[in-house]
Amino acid sequence: MYFKGINSYGDRGMLLDFGDDSSKSISLEVNKAFSTISNLGLPLLNIIPSFNKIVIIFENSEIRDQNKEKITLEISDIKSQFQKSANKTWKIPACYDESFALDLKLIQQLHQITKEEIINLHTSESYYTYYIGFMPGFPYLGDIHSQLITPRLATPRIKIPARSIGIAKNHTCIYPKISPGGWNIIGQIPFDIFDLQNPNPSLFLPGDKVSFYSVSNKEFQQVQKKHFSINELIKEYSS
Amino acid sequence: MNSLVISRTGTHLTVQDFGRFHYQHLGVSPSGAMDQRIIKELEKIIPLHHNQFIEFAYVGPSIKVKEGSVKVCVGGNCNMNIQKNNGTQIICQPYKSINLFAGDELNIHNTIDSVYGYIAVEHGLGLDPCLKSFSTDTKAGIGSINRPLKVDDTFEILEDVSSWDHLSIPNPAYKKETNFKVYPGPQLQFFTDQALQSFISSTFTISAQSDRMGIRLKGEAILSSQSHDILSEGILPGSIQVPSDGQPIVLMRDIPCTGGYPKIAILNGEDISKISQLPPGSQITFDLQTIY
Repeated sequence: MYFKGINSYGDRGMLLDFGDDSSKSISLEVNKAFSTISNLGLPLLNIIPSFNKIVIIFENSEIRDQNKEKITLEISDIKSQFQKSANKTWKIPACYDESFALDLKLIQQLHQITKEEIINLHTSESYYTYYIGFMPGFPYLGDIHSQLITPRLATPRIKIPARSIGIAKNHTCIYPKISPGGWNIIGQIPFDIFDLQNPNPSLFLPGDKVSFYSVSNKEFQQVQKKHFSINELIKEYSS
Repeated sequence: MNSLVISRTGTHLTVQDFGRFHYQHLGVSPSGAMDQRIIKELEKIIPLHHNQFIEFAYVGPSIKVKEGSVKVCVGGNCNMNIQKNNGTQIICQPYKSINLFAGDELNIHNTIDSVYGYIAVEHGLGLDPCLKSFSTDTKAGIGSINRPLKVDDTFEILEDVSSWDHLSIPNPAYKKETNFKVYPGPQLQFFTDQALQSFISSTFTISAQSDRMGIRLKGEAILSSQSHDILSEGILPGSIQVPSDGQPIVLMRDIPCTGGYPKIAILNGEDISKISQLPPGSQITFDLQTIY
């Protein structure tokens, strides 16, 4: 167990500490605790998992303190709890054409590998969704193949096109919409992954498995034209 | 049918409520009114506000009734008047209900010695919620109206004014506070004793670069003895983060959902509304609590 304890976070928050490291096994425990606490029906305002922490926010300190014991109890025997996984496995089409892969040349030079090798390395792994953050629906996926590990851009881009696939350090991501950002852009997916019209607006959830497969620009355009809704995407690309 | 139009914009004009919760794990910030004390007060005069308040900073908008009639109330310290449809002008006050008829225009000039002001409209603005809230986060493009309001934005209010009676409450005239209670942040131990000492003993000036996302402070640099880059973790309004330049940022309502800078302290929850009303140039100090 990585869980270290619960600390106060200001007068209305608490922070569940799972140490200072980051790994998939730590994240699995974090996301198990996240879904357990989310399902308790506690009067909380927000619960935010990240690599090795969970921050929970309450209306005020009284409500926070009343719920601390219950949360402590749940977490302390989380290892023994059986949990049916609600997580999905995604296979996402991705186009790695030069018109989308703004930083492909940079990565080729840095690692001395070909475009095909980059595509093979990026599509050969099944990624784990650590958490959603930075902007609405933005998944932190990992870990990428060690040969692809690349630092963030020295100068972040002002505008990264929506649906771009990025890599930085040992993670990969998808930008849900146009945004400034410092990830190296290697491709693009043909649909939106965050939809405000849907009561469950984010395509990906913490704990989901995501892999990519390479499609031609023509196939990319064909999928793009379909304007899939979140529910259609679930049917089409997840299991 | 009653309708209201924005006839002149103010600055940072957005629709807000008490906040959008339960979506931060999907990257959606809580947003909501910067000064929540004021919209709570307005509730006493316009109980049927339907959680759809118009927020402005420094300069208020002009709103004109196109059709029918509406009841509104303004909160905050503002100068304003009504241009009646018969050409007369009336000076009016915040925290008093105002009945407006077709052709009447309410002009809110500016906030006095403060930043944010609010308009509550009886029966709301006829908007549909977005992720269960009416709040706007313009950076993320989320909201019933996902952008700042602009001239000619028109709101249709289906229900009629419930009563012409005038309601008012005393102006709460909040005392301007400059000393803020803070609690130890999760990375407090990143900072040397000397850095902590300057954090609690020096005076910080509110920078003009402050907005709904954060209040940027200028003062003695608070340097971390460890890295100024941590693994991103959940943050909440009131978190005080310190980037590598040592100038703290008090995160406000439109927070990025996770943050990678060390947090030296967390502002007392009640004080988020208070600090939001301090204009750039205001000087503040922090009072670090040891028990929390």
